[in-house]
Amino acid sequence: MAAWMLTKAGASVLMLEAGRDYNPDEAPMLNMAMDAPLRGINTPDKEFGFYDATVDGGWKMPGEPYTMAEGSEFMWWRSRMLGGRTNHWARNSFRMGEYDFKPKTRDGLGVDWPFEYKDIAPWYDRTEKLVGVYGSNDGLENHPNSGPGVLQTPPKFRVWETFLKAGGDAINVPVVAARRAVLTKKIDERSPCYWASGCGRGCSIGAAFQTTTSLIPWAKKTGKLTIATGAMVYEVLLDSSGKATGVRYIDKATGTHKEAKGRVVVLAASTGETARILLNSQVAGRSEGLANSSGQVGRNLMDTVGSSVSAYFPQLEGRPRYNEDGAMGLHAYIPFWDYKRIVSGEVDTPRGYHVEIGGSFGDPGMGVGGGLDGYGSSLRADVKRRYGARIGFTQRGEMIPNASSFCSIDTNTKDKFGIPVLKFNFAWADHELKQVKHFQNAMKELIDKLGGTLVSEPADPAKAISKGGEIIHEVGTARMGSDAKDSVTNQFGKTWDVDNLYITDGSVFASKAHKNPTITIMTLAMRSSDSIATRLRTGEL
Amino acid sequence: MTDTTAPVIIAIDRRVTLKWLMGALAVGQLAACGDGAKGLSWPELEAISATGIGKDPNLTDPVVPWPLTLTAAQLETTAELADLILPGEGAIPAPSKVGVPAFINEWVSAPYPDQHSDRVLIVNGLAWLDEESKVRNGVPFIRAEASAQKAILDDIAFKDKVKAGLEKPAEFFGRMRSLTLGAFYTTREGWADIGYMGNTPGTGDYAGPTPEAAAHIKGVIEGMGLKYTPA
Ligand SMILES: Cc1cc2nc3c(=O)[nH]c(=O)nc-3n(C[C@H](O)[C@H](O)[C@H](O)COP(=O)(O)OP(=O)(O)OC[C@H]3O[C@@H](n4cnc5c(N)ncnc54)[C@H](O)[C@@H]3O)c2cc1C
Ligand code: SF4
Repeated sequence: MAAWMLTKAGASVLMLEAGRDYNPDEAPMLNMAMDAPLRGINTPDKEFGFYDATVDGGWKMPGEPYTMAEGSEFMWWRSRMLGGRTNHWARNSFRMGEYDFKPKTRDGLGVDWPFEYKDIAPWYDRTEKLVGVYGSNDGLENHPNSGPGVLQTPPKFRVWETFLKAGGDAINVPVVAARRAVLTKKIDERSPCYWASGCGRGCSIGAAFQTTTSLIPWAKKTGKLTIATGAMVYEVLLDSSGKATGVRYIDKATGTHKEAKGRVVVLAASTGETARILLNSQVAGRSEGLANSSGQVGRNLMDTVGSSVSAYFPQLEGRPRYNEDGAMGLHAYIPFWDYKRIVSGEVDTPRGYHVEIGGSFGDPGMGVGGGLDGYGSSLRADVKRRYGARIGFTQRGEMIPNASSFCSIDTNTKDKFGIPVLKFNFAWADHELKQVKHFQNAMKELIDKLGGTLVSEPADPAKAISKGGEIIHEVGTARMGSDAKDSVTNQFGKTWDVDNLYITDGSVFASKAHKNPTITIMTLAMRSSDSIATRLRTGEL
Repeated sequence: MTDTTAPVIIAIDRRVTLKWLMGALAVGQLAACGDGAKGLSWPELEAISATGIGKDPNLTDPVVPWPLTLTAAQLETTAELADLILPGEGAIPAPSKVGVPAFINEWVSAPYPDQHSDRVLIVNGLAWLDEESKVRNGVPFIRAEASAQKAILDDIAFKDKVKAGLEKPAEFFGRMRSLTLGAFYTTREGWADIGYMGNTPGTGDYAGPTPEAAAHIKGVIEGMGLKYTPA
């Protein structure tokens, strides 16, 4: 986003990318699982399946470890490719709302953001319009509408989504159109969704938003963008006055250390990696790393609260077949609805969650035989009867920053380039565990209303909750704020300590609302880049 | 009490350990006591060290980089079993006609931990099946009558009716069933059988439910006393 905004504004940009170049035509769209090794299942090499677009990444990367403090578990998903994880994200794009930017004001926990929702609303509109997001404006509490003409028309609900809506309506749990960064109408050279091929494989027709089919080629077209791939940045360079002069990186092809100079340095290497670069940067006379006079770099690490339940609905058995691929992701979802009872104290957890749902007739996959019994023609009948009768419910909830969750440099471990690695500390608090309980109870009520049965009784929240990082929404390690004493950047991503050093990834999040972070990362990046462009124009930078 | 009458002839993968052989011999002895082949041990096998997929394979032109390891005899038994699990019906082909045995070979030969445990289960399980059949019927599994084959399966295929002592063979059968179903229902023939109609690009808006599917869910919802909202 920063590269597009800045080149569009006339600045020359050098983008340093640790991974390799990536061409969206590499995406195996429409290829059958059958043609992939092991039917495309997850393996230690390709942890989200053979066809997942991730290049040279995953939970584990050879030669590029991360470590964990004793008693902590944290999972860090990386991908080393141009466009990063935007090539294969699920494209769920829910706006943060009024409450989400002022959490401390509401319940005294965490910190507030340095601006209000209304300040960022126009930037959300601009970002959603540029990116292309489908969804509907339902006017729900803390789920803001987009501006007129911003959203694209969402795809129709499928049968099982209509079924859930009927149950939800009966118990006042909303089931509404989801918002995803997927085109349903053509914009610029990008085609609308053609209703097939999982978006995690990458979308070469440009319907599912990824920077390699949009922002990066657009920025290239200005003639102002130079991209260096295989460039592993590890340090920001400063001059004697404390201004950033560039970065130092390892050119992976030759193994040589190189420097790149610039008037402004923008870090957007992802939440973990940006913190790592700051903490690894040497600043004369200081030991805490760069832009860290507040001591907050690496702190406030947050991820989304995740857990799931799954239920079987006899009412859906043997339902008439049709093509339910649709946009290969959410058409409907359950936004958080219980804010009033949080305020009244009837709900014992301070923050909300939303529920992502799945139950389509999809490619049956290697799991199709799970839980079946016997053999022969009765087995075939069972497979067919049960197809499309099971619905999965996935919680995506807000985490409140806590003192036990942070990353720091592990001085004992280096990666294959010789760069010290990150060490994670992570712990959930009671708030998050209670939220899991709320989710489990609410889903049981919904499932019950629809005559379903749980596939298995949900585990105790402490067991049911995801591991830190597992939901891949890590944010917060260089948070923005209104006070240099307890935040790393101002509201425009400018570090308090270095006037020409900016951060435009998820590390600047002050809180982690239950809404998936990427649309907000891009919106903040657009707003911050606009501020950089203005300061460049006025000669301030 | 003598040795078993039927000679123990088992195709042995060269990686199979000595422990396994001893287990197989013990079967013969137990069998003679009229105890079936349930005494067969299920020894660990050496892990496969072939190259895997890697972190950046060519996604549009996939290759399976590891060598296949099942013997011809093991593949034959696999095919026989797969076809018993999900027999062809009318126009629907049997698993052996759409490459399921070859897929199971690819699976058990893969250099990954999950597939390795399946390999241990399956290689040993196939041997057990033959031994059990020889004990009961005097011939290996593939040469037994259909009814005799089913008699063996009936002892291991149903969760609540696994014959005492046959828990391990039941586990083996469960994996074979799961692999067979997964492999079959990911083929075009499997898609047609189950009714998966996707992976087909379309133009314009997403069509949504057919009138028949919509009418059906409307009936279900209203039948439950709930309110139906059309898509
Ligand atoms: C399977 C999956 C599904 C997801 N679904 C959703 C979703 O539905 N909604 C949502 O909001 N979010 C989702 N996410 C999360 C989303 O992908 C991330 O929030 C988003 O991509 C973060 O953007 P980023 O620019 O901070 O980091 P990244 O996308 O990771 O980009 C960082 C880039 O920097 C490069 N880099 C890293 N270190 C260095 C270095 N030292 N030097 C130079 N370059 C470096 C990387 O190679 C990469 O290209 C999902 C993620 C995954 C994996
Ligand atoms: S479902 Fe639509 S948006 Fe997703 S990859 Fe396929 S064509 Fe692209």
